[in-house]
Amino acid sequence: MSSSTLTIASRIINQLIRDRRTIILIVVVPLVIASLVGVSVPDKSILDYTAPAILAVLILFFGFLLTGISFLRERSQGTLERLMASPVSRLDIVGGYLLGFLLFAVLQTMVLFFYFIYVLNVSFYGDLWQILVFQVLIGIGAVCMGTFFSVLAKNEFQMVQFIPMIIVPQMFLCGLLWPVSQMPEYLQWLANVLPMTYGVEGIRALMLQGQNLLDIGKDVGVLAAYAVGLLILTALTLRRSTG
Amino acid sequence: MPESNFSGPAVEVNKVSFAYGRQKVLDEFSLEIPGGISFGLLGPNGAGKTTLIRLLVGLLKARAGTILTLGRKPSPRIAHLIGYMPQLPSLYAELSVIQNVEFFARIYQLTDKTERRRRVEEVIKLVDLWEHRRKSAMNLSGGMKQRASLACAIVHNPPLLFLDEPTVGLDPELRVTFWEYFTALTRQGATLIISSHTMDDAAHCDRLAFMRDGRVIALGSPDELRQATGQAKATLEDAFLYFIKHGGVNKNVQ
Repeated sequence: MSSSTLTIASRIINQLIRDRRTIILIVVVPLVIASLVGVSVPDKSILDYTAPAILAVLILFFGFLLTGISFLRERSQGTLERLMASPVSRLDIVGGYLLGFLLFAVLQTMVLFFYFIYVLNVSFYGDLWQILVFQVLIGIGAVCMGTFFSVLAKNEFQMVQFIPMIIVPQMFLCGLLWPVSQMPEYLQWLANVLPMTYGVEGIRALMLQGQNLLDIGKDVGVLAAYAVGLLILTALTLRRSTG
Repeated sequence: MPESNFSGPAVEVNKVSFAYGRQKVLDEFSLEIPGGISFGLLGPNGAGKTTLIRLLVGLLKARAGTILTLGRKPSPRIAHLIGYMPQLPSLYAELSVIQNVEFFARIYQLTDKTERRRRVEEVIKLVDLWEHRRKSAMNLSGGMKQRASLACAIVHNPPLLFLDEPTVGLDPELRVTFWEYFTALTRQGATLIISSHTMDDAAHCDRLAFMRDGRVIALGSPDELRQATGQAKATLEDAFLYFIKHGGVNKNVQ
């Protein structure tokens, strides 16, 4: 990891820390949503079953939103262009953004997870650290996805359109509402190419069945491949020359 | 100042064409800028000044023709030798002035901590923002943002500096200070390429290119351009209008 990557990451962290309202919103909004989930599902056994999938979906949603909008703002304010005219490589830039935003995505993940466990009393069977590692992996995927799609969007309005286009289908098809195996075949095919399906499958196996990371190697592998693939695609898409 | 080890022209643009979609901005544009001077790109909005600067720093890619900056194609490999101040202040709104400048000092590889701090302090004082160094960029006035942006562009003491409308929003006193600093930089051997649409800036430059509709309509020193009008008391504004009126041909008046 280059010093430029770390410099960019620490700048992003500094920026968000100085923006107290955003920090409060990063923590409070997921809690409000999680509370709504808690009070709207009266049966504890149903909450225990649905909570892991909801957790995975919320991590994806908030990570995508935070990164996508922030990265796009860098472009609209001209700060990204200034950085592109400097000696840093595209990979340094993308890596720096990934690291910086990841910290806040992890923060949201921890807040959500511990709120589900200790406030909403959701039961889990697997190892705590393995569950957290897997959630961080979902967070990395969300940050990579947010960065990639913000490169494709030309303004905030377009970025907002990516939410229903990218996030909502994954919420419906990941098995949160209905098991993937009971969907029509063409939807199963679609669900199997979306990363959230593996996120939900993996987190359910860890939290509900007490499996470990090795048992869900396929889910870990697919999510990691998605993250690396999107990271490379973002670096390639983020051209220094824009003409 | 980082060594460029290059003694040729600071910038060579040869038959460069560029368009935003179907809108042609530069068409077979050629220009050579010698090193160690302040060179003004002067023209109205839409003349192609900003596009030319973005091409020279490598943010845009020419559709045809060649561009050499310090003898090499614009790329991240020579970016440490270049300072770039965009038209928009382009600062990180939540960060303070000192954090913004410090960030660019790190990005431009000022690795020695003591030297970096000294240089950051020096440039912030130079742009007269030391008292406001802890203020967030979002709370600065337009002129202050412009000054902070300049500090970010010069913190690594580059031998070649591209300044896109650097004096916009500055009061006359600070404008004079800026020009004193720019003159000092060229005396130290740096090359400054400045885009502007004000004749006040133009008068300070060693050489000028009058630009209109993506073409150079006249090239020379401020005095040469004024004299070319044939009027004893002609201003640069008169000279610009003269070259527009007389066909706007690519004309080196030297």
